[in-house]
Amino acid sequence: MGTAGREQLTAAADRLGLTATVERLGLRAAGVLTLLVLGVVFYYPVWSVFAEAFGSAAAPVRAVLTSEFYLGAAHGLFTDPLGVPGDVLAWLASVRVHAAWTGLLPDVWVTYPRLRKGLFGFTTYQAALSTLASVVLGLPGAYVLARFEFPGRRTLKALTILPFVLPSIMVVVGFVATFGQFGTVNDLLAALGIGRVQMLYTLELVVLAHAFYNAPLVTRMVGTAWENVDASAVETARSLGANPLRAFRDVVAPQLLPALAASAVLTFVFTFMTFPIVLALGGLQLATVEVWLYARVQQLDYETAAALATLETLFSLTLTYVYLRYEARRAASGTNNPLPRSRLFDAETAREWFVRAGIGVYGVVVAFVFLAPLASMVLASFGGAADPTLEWWRFLVERQSGSRTQPSTAVWNSLVFGVGALALALPMGVVVAAFSARGGRGRKVVDAVLMAPIAVSGIVVGFGMLQSLVFGVELFGTRVSVVGPAVVVAAHAVAGYPFVVRNVAPMLSAVDSRLVESARALGASRGRALWDVELPLVWPGVLAGAAFAFAISIGEFDATVLLASDGAYTMPVALKRYLVDRTAGPSVGPAAAMGTVLLVVTAASFVVIDRVGGRYRP
Amino acid sequence: MKRRAYLRTAGAGVLGLATAGCLEIGGGGPSGPLTVATYDSFFGDEGTAGRWLKDEWEADHDVDIEFTAPSNGINEFIQRKKQGADIEADLFVGLNTGELVRVDEQLPDQDLFDSLGDVAGTNNIKESLRIDPQNRALPYDTGYITLVYDGTEVENPSTFEALLEPEYEGTLLAQNAQSSDPGRAFLLWTVHEFGPEGYLDYWEGLVENDVRVLDDWQPSYDAFLNDERPIVVSYSTDQVYYNDEDEIPHHQVGFLDDQGYANPETVARFADADRSETAAEFVEFVLTDEAQRNVAVNNVQFPATTTAELPEEYAQYAYEPPEPVTFTYDELAGNVEEWTESWAQQVASN
Repeated sequence: MGTAGREQLTAAADRLGLTATVERLGLRAAGVLTLLVLGVVFYYPVWSVFAEAFGSAAAPVRAVLTSEFYLGAAHGLFTDPLGVPGDVLAWLASVRVHAAWTGLLPDVWVTYPRLRKGLFGFTTYQAALSTLASVVLGLPGAYVLARFEFPGRRTLKALTILPFVLPSIMVVVGFVATFGQFGTVNDLLAALGIGRVQMLYTLELVVLAHAFYNAPLVTRMVGTAWENVDASAVETARSLGANPLRAFRDVVAPQLLPALAASAVLTFVFTFMTFPIVLALGGLQLATVEVWLYARVQQLDYETAAALATLETLFSLTLTYVYLRYEARRAASGTNNPLPRSRLFDAETAREWFVRAGIGVYGVVVAFVFLAPLASMVLASFGGAADPTLEWWRFLVERQSGSRTQPSTAVWNSLVFGVGALALALPMGVVVAAFSARGGRGRKVVDAVLMAPIAVSGIVVGFGMLQSLVFGVELFGTRVSVVGPAVVVAAHAVAGYPFVVRNVAPMLSAVDSRLVESARALGASRGRALWDVELPLVWPGVLAGAAFAFAISIGEFDATVLLASDGAYTMPVALKRYLVDRTAGPSVGPAAAMGTVLLVVTAASFVVIDRVGGRYRP
Repeated sequence: MKRRAYLRTAGAGVLGLATAGCLEIGGGGPSGPLTVATYDSFFGDEGTAGRWLKDEWEADHDVDIEFTAPSNGINEFIQRKKQGADIEADLFVGLNTGELVRVDEQLPDQDLFDSLGDVAGTNNIKESLRIDPQNRALPYDTGYITLVYDGTEVENPSTFEALLEPEYEGTLLAQNAQSSDPGRAFLLWTVHEFGPEGYLDYWEGLVENDVRVLDDWQPSYDAFLNDERPIVVSYSTDQVYYNDEDEIPHHQVGFLDDQGYANPETVARFADADRSETAAEFVEFVLTDEAQRNVAVNNVQFPATTTAELPEEYAQYAYEPPEPVTFTYDELAGNVEEWTESWAQQVASN
């Protein structure tokens, strides 16, 4: 931001009295406030769940660790550690490599005795596959967005967040409409004379759905890193005689790798804790740890649930820590000299045409994977292609008059909660980012703990909140319980703030520390330096974080349905209610219509935030 | 976080209904309305049993009815009781046998429900539906779990054994017995048929024959409607919805071995109810012939009393199994959790 711009902003802030407030309170006070909110709506509830796992000498945890069902072959590590080397050797000894000659090519295959994965093993396995699929699908997108200029590029980039906020039930409806027995794909296959294929209830489809959710994350994170690559470094390499490939390998790739690894780790954590997608597209046969955890809660078997939650959280926290370590190495500094972008629809050499042809193919794949489920949903709201009708939209309008669940109320509630969550998550996120960017010993551990909302299962949080906040806690002889919009907003803010941190912290740590030091030397408090010097510099990150926080609030379902009083329903809650509304007959029409509204509102507000933000961008 | 959000469904023992509700704190207090906790689809919209009861009741009484549908059903109240939090509802509508067993096992030293005592109309309740040895929970309707199949795709399997035949490979959709009422009923039905020693073997056969166990009734029934598979575990009243000439062949009710698993729904009064008198009166009202008829029709179930009569056209499409089977409270007590968990472990590890 130029000096003029900064002055403008400072003046605006002064008018609002913000500067003074921030300064008076100081960064420390803001930090304490953040911790307080986290403590009440996150740590205390989650702790109340975990405490169960350590009843009677951690017996529940030990029971899980020594069970073959949960750990598969690995349970031997805990039941009979001394026998493990022998067992492994025995297994290795029974592995056979076979080789034959097919006449043209050698044919080699390996046989080995079946190894029980157990629930944790299977969950890890599918998460690894899902991560791989997400990277394969997302990486080329980062290349296209970072290296090419075309109309709608910015909007497209803004929309990469969309899969994050689509209610999974809606995505499931879309996937079924696309990949089901009589879905779009099978219709196409049948028309081509290939015949219908059963795709639902397979691991492949679950993995594809996970890629739908997470590939945009890869695209976004790697794309941002790519845009931040300093062009002069590449130019230097080229001038020293490196060919483009070599320059990419030696200069660009090392700067992308950390972002790629970080997005892969995040994807792994997310897909490790996956839940509704697996149940709906795979069924109990493909159960993950989270599915099992939910079932244990349903049976009120809190000890096992808590033990599973504890182990799962330890695992994902460890990975979050790994992620943060990667992020520290990530060269996330904004550059004033990004690589020039080529025009997508303009090519001269054969090589350029070749690259663009490849992008075209990728575009078709992406359009299919991302648009087909959404288009199927929108189509369903109009009764499908075969039987077009406005009935379901009429249904929504009818529900507007005197029904228990009114569409406009749902939209209004969602927007209000979204703004509320944003107002809370943004300062929280910036404050945590400021502490995080400060560095120092133990910072990574603190980071991991503050980032815990990403790593703790949604079921555990929702369940803990219900037990502690909604049912209330005995305080000084009276029962205090939190209900209504306030607790919903707080819960949404807790879910959203890690994304603010993740967007702001890397940029903040890249700010030249001399700037801050000068400000401090001139008498500014730490808070004032943050407000006046650093924030304007990291404004794009703040806006991206804001968009995340808002979008996450709009799409949140689990905590909302558990915590909100009856009138405080949001769009996803309304959607679910319409899905089971049998007065409309057994049709996804009403839910699809509500889902379309949700889609439009989310996409629109998202683009608005991004556009408005764009104008203030330095 | 949204992406991990799970759409909770809770205790829907009714045709066409998986529910997700919203937490609501009822009015409470002796001067407030009568607060009835139930599942969402019992009262959520026009034409539901709950709306009918509310309208009819309020026309004659000073006390209003307020419905509430906690998103985790009876578990919500068990947890509240355990934690010493207030229970602001007076009645719970929609309790089934397995849930009552859970209530008593989870709260061995406390009374979540009390006995309604002598309520007029209880003499008319079918003996086979009475589930509570302590007489706290009174049945108000019942449904039968059975198979619904698409007659244009497959023949009626007719027997449990047939489902293991190659002919029925990859045809059956069932539900997770841990989270779904019909799912649990179907599991219990197989336990009833093959015994606690044999049901897991039977299920091993089902899994080998590629049964698909989905989360709840709604997704599995949607999958059935989408032609994913031609057989689904559902209710014997299916044709009440699908009675057009061209729909009936696609919605055939198939009783296995001429049986169907009865799943009575009951109402019970909370021991802490503020309006305990009114609650008892309301239950009395629910058991009148007129209410029984309307609850059954609006809820697409069968009445719980012997004296209530169904409209003729309704009876034409709602089938009762020749031999209804069910487990009693005593048979489930101490067993149902273990049966369910062993079953789930077996299905999940395949």
